[in-house]
Amino acid sequence: MILSLRRYGFAALMAFGATLLLWGLRDVLTTANFSLVYLLVVLVVAVYYGTAPSLFTALISFLSFNFFLVKPLYTFFVADPRDVLDLVIYLACAALTGQLASYARNQRRDAEQRANELNILYEAAAAFNQLTDSESVYRTLDHILHERLSVLHTEVLPPISLLDTDGQNRLNLPLSIGAHRYGILRITFTRPPTSALTRLASICTSQAATVLQRIELAHHIQESESLKEADRLKTALLHAVSHDLRTPLTIIKTSASNLSRLDSTLPPPDRLDMLHAIESEADHLNKMVGNLLDISRLQAGALQINGALNSLEEVAGDVAARTWQVTGTERIVINFPPDMTLVYFDYGLVLQALSNLVENGLRYEPSDSRLTIAGKIIGHEAQVAIVNHGPSIPAAERDLIMEPFYHSAGGNTGLGLAIAKGIIEAHQGRLWVEDTPSGGATFIFSLPLTNMDTE
Amino acid sequence: MDDEPQIRKLLQTGLEGYGYQVVTTGDGQSALVAVAQQQPDVIILDIALGSSPDGLEVCRRLRTWSKTPIIMLSVRNDEKTKVNALNAGADDYMTKPFGMEELQARIQAILRRSVVTDQTTPTAEICIKGIVIDLANRRVTLEGEEVHFTPKEYDLLCLLAKHPGTVITHGTLLNKVWGAGYEGMEHYVRVFVNQIRRKLKENPARDIRYIISEPGIGYRFVEPE
Repeated sequence: MILSLRRYGFAALMAFGATLLLWGLRDVLTTANFSLVYLLVVLVVAVYYGTAPSLFTALISFLSFNFFLVKPLYTFFVADPRDVLDLVIYLACAALTGQLASYARNQRRDAEQRANELNILYEAAAAFNQLTDSESVYRTLDHILHERLSVLHTEVLPPISLLDTDGQNRLNLPLSIGAHRYGILRITFTRPPTSALTRLASICTSQAATVLQRIELAHHIQESESLKEADRLKTALLHAVSHDLRTPLTIIKTSASNLSRLDSTLPPPDRLDMLHAIESEADHLNKMVGNLLDISRLQAGALQINGALNSLEEVAGDVAARTWQVTGTERIVINFPPDMTLVYFDYGLVLQALSNLVENGLRYEPSDSRLTIAGKIIGHEAQVAIVNHGPSIPAAERDLIMEPFYHSAGGNTGLGLAIAKGIIEAHQGRLWVEDTPSGGATFIFSLPLTNMDTE
Repeated sequence: MDDEPQIRKLLQTGLEGYGYQVVTTGDGQSALVAVAQQQPDVIILDIALGSSPDGLEVCRRLRTWSKTPIIMLSVRNDEKTKVNALNAGADDYMTKPFGMEELQARIQAILRRSVVTDQTTPTAEICIKGIVIDLANRRVTLEGEEVHFTPKEYDLLCLLAKHPGTVITHGTLLNKVWGAGYEGMEHYVRVFVNQIRRKLKENPARDIRYIISEPGIGYRFVEPE
């Protein structure tokens, strides 16, 4: 309202200014000059302020032309009939040019606005295209509406919400594709939105809904991929359960039933053997169940790493001590530099990985030599080598032995190495096999040192 | 107490075999009543009782009025479960399945400890298999030979050695030895423990160890066998 008043003010001011100028020069100029100058003023007003102010200017200038410049001066009476013609033609010209100029002006403004809208939509589409999670879709939408449409506030409401239509500044737009509704976007403008603004906002909103759908579909695809993988694992798991778990169960069951039926007749050493068999097979079973749980967690990507700066030597010590507790012989040599830096890892998990590697290594270690656990820092990673002196592993088998459920010649379930590999890789590390120079297999795992900076 | 009758029976048989008197209960509520009435020396408590209150809750409630040592049992071997158990006031925890021998050893350790803490007179010396810590003069000897420790190493060793068998969390060690403001600097403890181990000439390959790491939780001072 104030804006349009100001426009008329400016228009009147320009008309009066022109009049003042022409009045001063009235003795030098002719009537034709006057009408041309006035026409210019009307044209300028039309270009800048539009139709109505230009008509207004035409009218004022017509009157002041008549009053101040056409003889006799200072009356609306016109003496010369030719001047009457001049004035009438002037008025007609002024009205017409004003109309034309403001039409052109409106055209230009519309074109600019459309270009601007296209620009906003293009930017929105470009921004939306890169998104992969729904949270950032909402954030981007909010950002675009704020930055480009000068929206005061946006809010995403649940798909089914009671909408109060209070306030003309509010707009509720459904975030929906077909019948599926992701939510309702409530937009608060600083003033009642124009139809162009409403249109733009709703296009942006439906773009966002499309992206939400795309993300949802991508999730579905990923989910079905991991389901397929889980299914494959389940088959392998069932296989392992039926083959490997039954053996210790059979031993336990047979020993227990022998004991309960033949207890009194069995010689004491046999009885003791059976009892020991039950105990050790139960341990074996427990371990296998643990392995199966671990491998399924690793494969499902559900492993949680509770990292901290830890000492690899400490882990090696734990593994060595456990070996002593089980075997009662000194089978391991630990070799770490005294100034070995701490490395960022999950102690429990790496302990498990190393015990699996050591257990595997000891299985092939000749009884007259010792397995070595050696640590060192090379470049940006810490490496631990588990060196055994048994048979070498053929190059073709080196990757295979770390696959889950790979049955080696020894007939082990073959989960230990797969678990170790999974754990190390979950730490962004690597696990690989080399030949021991003097014969045997050396398993080496590396853990990156770079993570230390993030702590 | 355990909610599985078979495990209850087995534990009872096993522990009675070692000469303990055993009272068993199958749910949290009756456990609280039994502790109040029987005044046991040690409580063995399963974490998941399958009914309310669960093991952790029972432990918390017990701790409001009882100082009886508690060993918690769990089938879960993750750090969180262990930390929860210790935070609820348990003195020790064991993961199922376990051997009766180990349980017996833990019970013995806990009973020894509670006897020690009952004595109010401070000891001037801590002697643990070859290591003598002279508290008055802050001197440590290993097999009769003096070993030099820096003040921080000595404090750390002392703190652990004064509570043999007990898990002392990284946080507590940091706080007691380094003071406040070292939260999140657990790796200091690791570095110092490494140095102490070297000076004590630990040999893990023969299981000669004094300081045992409890992953994600802390350290425990033990007597090598």
